[in-house]
Amino acid sequence: MRRLWYFLREAFISIRTHRTGTFIGVLTTAFTLTSFGVFLLLYHNVNTLLGRIQHNIQIIVYPKDGLEPAKLDALGKLLKSDQVVDSLTSISKQQALEDFKQQFPQETHLLEGLPDNPFPASFVLSMAPTTPATDIMTQFVNRLQQHPDIERVRYNRDWIARLTLVVTYLQWGALIIGVILAIASMAIIANTVQLAFYTRQEEMEILRLIGATSLFISIPYLIEGALLGALGGGVAIGFLRSGFEVFTQKIESLHLMGSLSTTFEFFPLPFSLTLLAGGIVLGCLGTLATMLGWMKIR
Amino acid sequence: MIQLFHVTKYFEGRIALTDISLRIEKGECVLLTGPSGAGKTTLLKLIFGSVPPDDGQILVQNRNIARLRRSDIPYHRRTMGFVLQDFKLLPHRTVFENVALPLIIRGLSIFESRRKVAEALRAVGMDHKQTARASVLSAGEQQRACIARAIVNTPIILLADEPTGNLDPQLTMEIADLFKSINAKGTTILMATHNRQVVEHMNGRLLRLDCGHLMADQGVYA
Repeated sequence: MRRLWYFLREAFISIRTHRTGTFIGVLTTAFTLTSFGVFLLLYHNVNTLLGRIQHNIQIIVYPKDGLEPAKLDALGKLLKSDQVVDSLTSISKQQALEDFKQQFPQETHLLEGLPDNPFPASFVLSMAPTTPATDIMTQFVNRLQQHPDIERVRYNRDWIARLTLVVTYLQWGALIIGVILAIASMAIIANTVQLAFYTRQEEMEILRLIGATSLFISIPYLIEGALLGALGGGVAIGFLRSGFEVFTQKIESLHLMGSLSTTFEFFPLPFSLTLLAGGIVLGCLGTLATMLGWMKIR
Repeated sequence: MIQLFHVTKYFEGRIALTDISLRIEKGECVLLTGPSGAGKTTLLKLIFGSVPPDDGQILVQNRNIARLRRSDIPYHRRTMGFVLQDFKLLPHRTVFENVALPLIIRGLSIFESRRKVAEALRAVGMDHKQTARASVLSAGEQQRACIARAIVNTPIILLADEPTGNLDPQLTMEIADLFKSINAKGTTILMATHNRQVVEHMNGRLLRLDCGHLMADQGVYA
C-alpha cells in the first residue's frame, strides 16, 4: 500500500515537473488516437449501414410451379430455420397477382386472355444483420438453387459484394493507419518519458544505490506513461464526439443525404473504452521502449 | 564476510585492479588508502556489485558477486549501506523521506519505517532535522543524513567512498566518530579515504592500493 502511494506520488510529481512535455505528449497521443478514431468511426458506421442494408436486402425464392401445399409449407419451414434468415414472407400465386394489380393498375390488360395466373408463388427472405459476408450469402443461395423444389433464386449479389469490399478496405485501412499512428504515438510518449528519465537520472542512481530493483524504479514512469496515454485517449474521445456532432449537424442542415444523416451514430461504449485502453497501452509501451535499454545498467 | 580471489578489473582497456586477493572478517573496520586512481572506488564498486570483475571471484556473505544475476543485485545491495563523498541525497525531499527510501523499497510498513528512521537519525544526531529539505542542509548534515540512510536497514556491511572528502577537519572527525560508533555495534566497515587524520582516528586495518595493486595489508594502523 505504501509502495503504491509512493509510485503514484512519484508519477504525479514527474507529470507536474514536466508540464510542457506532458502537455505535448497528451496532445500528440490525442491527435494520433483521434486520427485512428476517425477511421474507426467510419468503419463502424459503414459496417452498421451494411448491416441495415443487408437486413433490407431480400432474397426471393421461387418454388417450382404446381408444388403441393404440404411441400410448399415444408420448404417455407426449411428456409425459415436457416440461421442467415431473419424473417420470411410467403406470397401465394393469388397474392402475387393481387400485388401486381395493385402496383400496376394500368397494366392489368396484359393479363387478359391468359388462361391461368402467370405469377409464381414466392418466399421473400430478409437476412439476419449478423450475416455480413458475401461468401455466406452465396453459399446459402447455392444451397437453395440445388434444392429440388426450388425453381429460381433472386438476389442482388453485386451490390452486397461491393459494400462488403468497402468494409474490408476500411478494415485494412484502419489497421494499417492504426499501426503507423500507434508507432508514432509510442515514439512521442517514449520521448516524453525519456526527458523525464534524463532529468531524474541522479535520482535513479540513488535508488539503485539503495537497492531498488529496475521494476521499482520503472513503475512510476509506467504509471506516468499510462496516465499520459489515458489522458490522450480521453481527449481523443472528446475531439471525436464534438467532431461527430458538428459533422451530423452540418449534414442535417444541408439536407444533403435526406434521412441517411440520421443513420450515423457515434461509437458504442465498448469502442470508446477500447480507444481509452489503447491510449493506456500506447503509453505503457512507449515507456517500456525507453526503459528497456536503461534496465541493462547494473 | 568479504573475500576476493585474484580479482582483476579493466576499464576501457586500462587496468584498474590487478590480482587482488583479500579477506575481511565480520565486524572489521577496514580503511582503503592510496592515491587517486589507485583503484579504491573500483574495489568498492566490485563489492557493491556495480561492476563485474573481469577475472577472479568475489564472495560477500558467501554469495559470489561475479555470478550474481542482474536481477539479484538490488537484493545484494539491500544487505549493505553505501556512503559517498557527494552525499547523493534527493534535494527536494525532506531528511525523513530520504532516509525512509530504503525502507519503502523493502516494503516496510509506515509505523516500522517511522521507528527505524527515527532510530537512524538519532544515531547520527539528526533527529531534529527530520522535516528539513535536504537542499537546505549543511555539508556535514547532508553527510549525516546520508549515513542515516545507509544504516537505516541495519546493514551487515557499510561501504564508504571518501565520506569526508567534502568536509572541513572538524566535521571530518565527527563523521569518523560516527563510523567508529557504527562499527562498534558490529557493522563491518570498508572505507576508502586518503585522509591521514581519518586513518589515524579510525584505527582500523589498513589496505594500501597503488596503480591497481594491493601494496600493503597492515592490520591496525600504528
